[in-house]
Amino acid sequence: MFGQQVMSGLATGSLYALTAVAVVVVFRNTRVINLAQGDFAMIAAFLGIVFLKNFQLNYYLMLPLVILCSMLLGVLVERLVMRPIADTDWLTLFTATLGVYYILHGVAGWVWGRDTKAFPVTFDAKPISVFGTLVSEGHLFNMAWAVCIGLVLFLFFKYTKQGIAMRAVTDDPETAKLMGIPVRFIVLLTWAMAGFLAAFAGILLAPIVYVSPEMMDEVLVKGYVAAVFGGLYSIPGAILGALMIGVAENLAGGYLGAHYKTATAFAMIVVLLTFRPKGLFGIQARREI
Amino acid sequence: MNEMGAAGRRFARGNALEAANLAPEAAAHAQRQRLALADAKARFQKQNWVGTVALFAVAALFPVLPGVEGWMAYTVALVIIYVIATQGVAVLTGYTGLVTVGHGGFLAIGAYTSALLTKHYHTELITGLIAGGLMSAFIGCLLGLIFLRLSGAFMAIGTLGFAFFVGTIVNNVNLFEGREGISLPKNRILIWEIGDVGFYYVALAVFALTTLLVYCLVRSGVGRALMALRDAEKAAESCGINRVFYRTLAFSLSAFITGLAGVLNGHIVRFIASEVYADIWYSVDFLVAAIVGGSSFLMGPLLGGIFVALLPFFLEELRELAFILKGVALILVLMFAPAGLAEVFGRPWRAWRRNKLERVRNDGARVSRASLDKLTKLEAR
Amino acid sequence: MASHFRCENVMVRFGGVVACNDVSLDVEEGKIVGVIGPNGAGKTTLFNVLSRFQDFSEGKLFYREQRIDRFRPHQMVRLGLARTFQNINLFVEQSVLSNILIGSHCLIGNPLASLFWLPGARRTEQELTERAIETAALLHLERDLDTVVKHLPYGHQKRVELARALASRPKIILLDEPVAGCNDEESAELEKIVRRINRELGITVVLVEHDMSMVMSVCDYIYVLNFGANLARGTPAEIQSNPDVINAYLGKEE
Repeated sequence: MFGQQVMSGLATGSLYALTAVAVVVVFRNTRVINLAQGDFAMIAAFLGIVFLKNFQLNYYLMLPLVILCSMLLGVLVERLVMRPIADTDWLTLFTATLGVYYILHGVAGWVWGRDTKAFPVTFDAKPISVFGTLVSEGHLFNMAWAVCIGLVLFLFFKYTKQGIAMRAVTDDPETAKLMGIPVRFIVLLTWAMAGFLAAFAGILLAPIVYVSPEMMDEVLVKGYVAAVFGGLYSIPGAILGALMIGVAENLAGGYLGAHYKTATAFAMIVVLLTFRPKGLFGIQARREI
Repeated sequence: MNEMGAAGRRFARGNALEAANLAPEAAAHAQRQRLALADAKARFQKQNWVGTVALFAVAALFPVLPGVEGWMAYTVALVIIYVIATQGVAVLTGYTGLVTVGHGGFLAIGAYTSALLTKHYHTELITGLIAGGLMSAFIGCLLGLIFLRLSGAFMAIGTLGFAFFVGTIVNNVNLFEGREGISLPKNRILIWEIGDVGFYYVALAVFALTTLLVYCLVRSGVGRALMALRDAEKAAESCGINRVFYRTLAFSLSAFITGLAGVLNGHIVRFIASEVYADIWYSVDFLVAAIVGGSSFLMGPLLGGIFVALLPFFLEELRELAFILKGVALILVLMFAPAGLAEVFGRPWRAWRRNKLERVRNDGARVSRASLDKLTKLEAR
Repeated sequence: MASHFRCENVMVRFGGVVACNDVSLDVEEGKIVGVIGPNGAGKTTLFNVLSRFQDFSEGKLFYREQRIDRFRPHQMVRLGLARTFQNINLFVEQSVLSNILIGSHCLIGNPLASLFWLPGARRTEQELTERAIETAALLHLERDLDTVVKHLPYGHQKRVELARALASRPKIILLDEPVAGCNDEESAELEKIVRRINRELGITVVLVEHDMSMVMSVCDYIYVLNFGANLARGTPAEIQSNPDVINAYLGKEE
């Protein structure tokens, strides 16, 4: 029982991690707390339905298309909304992403309606035994994807030119600019990456929660909490935070009652921020926020 | 011990102008100019007062205008409640620089405190207002102490956590009756029952009081201290400002004001259920209203509150379109009026005043009769 | 000579780095005391210790023989100590008058009385405003009272910061590089002002400065720090001829 709770907690946590990492990546390169991150994922899930149902595409053909659209959405938001106000304070940027949130919510509601839709691809709840604990197939599938994405991100940041440039911008945008790094392009790339992660978050979550404009709201908020665990700055910190939240709330849900599931993450964040005001991983953000 | 100069002793007595060793005629000129400026500023202040009183007078006449029905007063009262809640957010976010996405929590605390008192002890509205406001202020004080070291985005997420926390509690603790909700009897002030129009006046009176409170705050040394903490925390501490005390005070005041709005919000609908108060969208809306209106302007919450509260009313049928329009309008405001609507509307007004002050400064000797009297009195002292 | 303000054997560590090692400093009442030293000598850290922005692990801090080791920065202002910052740290969005008024915060009395404009608060407010204007006049800022600070030239901003510090009616004032970044004319003016603050207002002055000409001409005596420790103490003439000091500044010849 306990092992099972932990396993499904890790599975949920890995989905939170997708959002948390996107929040951190965007925040540390652009000072933006992106409230629209969840909506990128929501749009991606709807697009997934469109491609699978209306165009009768295969799952693995749909995935790259959705990723492309989602990245495009990120880039559009950067160009049309964020860039014109890039020089203002973080609160203005934060509120602007709220504007994007409203717009995407409205568009999704308009085009696809408010009621929840089932995702055409679902997974059997058929449990598989892993190291003696029973895990559902869907959870295993999601975890596998999350690990793959984590690996891709790691390789991207470690070895590609763009990834290294991105880290340079994180550390010191002024110096990066002087070193000839195209900061504007990197910021664009940051938003594209947010879209990339959102596409996976949306597609992987869709079979579990059903698709509706509000599907991501709760996940998004948990994603922030996880991001704060990493000090809004550290990607490994955010991933660890997300997994911890997933496990903790699953245990709370299992042993205390379902009502306490949501409260757990926030009890954790209140306690964390009380004792470690800059997050668990003690990395001092370089820029004053 | 080095001998303190005569000028030093004068400075110690508080007379540095003499200490500055200005030539007597230059000093007199400077003094005259100062009085002229002070005089002009006092006149501006009087204009502010007249303007504000006129605004409230118009608002007070609204329900008795021909063609205005009870439901209209009810709707406007709802907007006023929104504006009051936004004022609370503005105290914290605008003047103290602490971004809050958790004021829906204080709205809930105010509403539930008063609702429970009314249900179990049959209290009337004024008692409810006082109790709800104080309860909210108390929780605000605690929250301020808990989040003492937070700033920026961390504060935003921390306060969001608080709103969720309050939501979970009202959802799950039996006392608050969750989704079943608490129904309230007809509202009473002392012993008199009031209807929609009566409630409108109560809301307007509370609004007048909170506006006065914010006005006094901003112009007092306390308001200066809060703004100093907002602009440069270290420098503020070096000026003798007690960071812990003032941050907590700002939290309490802000929670108090939003708590009052919560009491009104509960009593106007006469039904309080967790469905409404566990929702974090109140918190977000108040923040948006504060930012759109201009959170460091006295009139900001009014404009922002109207903006956020009225948009859904007009577009009741087209819910999705309202969402999209709200988003577009919000982004446009941020792009073209980042300091808020109040800043834009106030621009010509402030330019006019600046010109006037510049003129007074340039021919500083032109002093009104009243200030001349003051000047002669001062010189006679 | 009475000791106005002193620290004994102060120790500050940042991780493994020792920023202040056993530093002692004694400021006599009514004097102008300079603190100099090469870059990285721990001057600014010491300054932050003295104004209580920096905690220290060992050592003692006295104000007129009262132990103040654990005071908070805002309490220091109540004692009568004001400071300025190395890089100007003003409320740049606010007017000069507001800046000076904020400086006089410790004189507003009961904050709740001030908040609710109880009787007396209005009078206090008026008095503080008048005094702020007088302080501005003392620093030749009377024409800029309504100007927003960020629109002022650098030299003016330095004086606004000084005015803000003076507004709390301090008995001792700590100046962190008052003429850094100023041109000759502005430096000469600030030097004059520092003298007047000391002579005419009877305020004790402690100043950290890189500009040797100013330190040598204005200070009554000077402390020299090197590598976070005391190196020498003496009058400007003594310091200028002290071989240790010369070595520290010019590098030792082996």
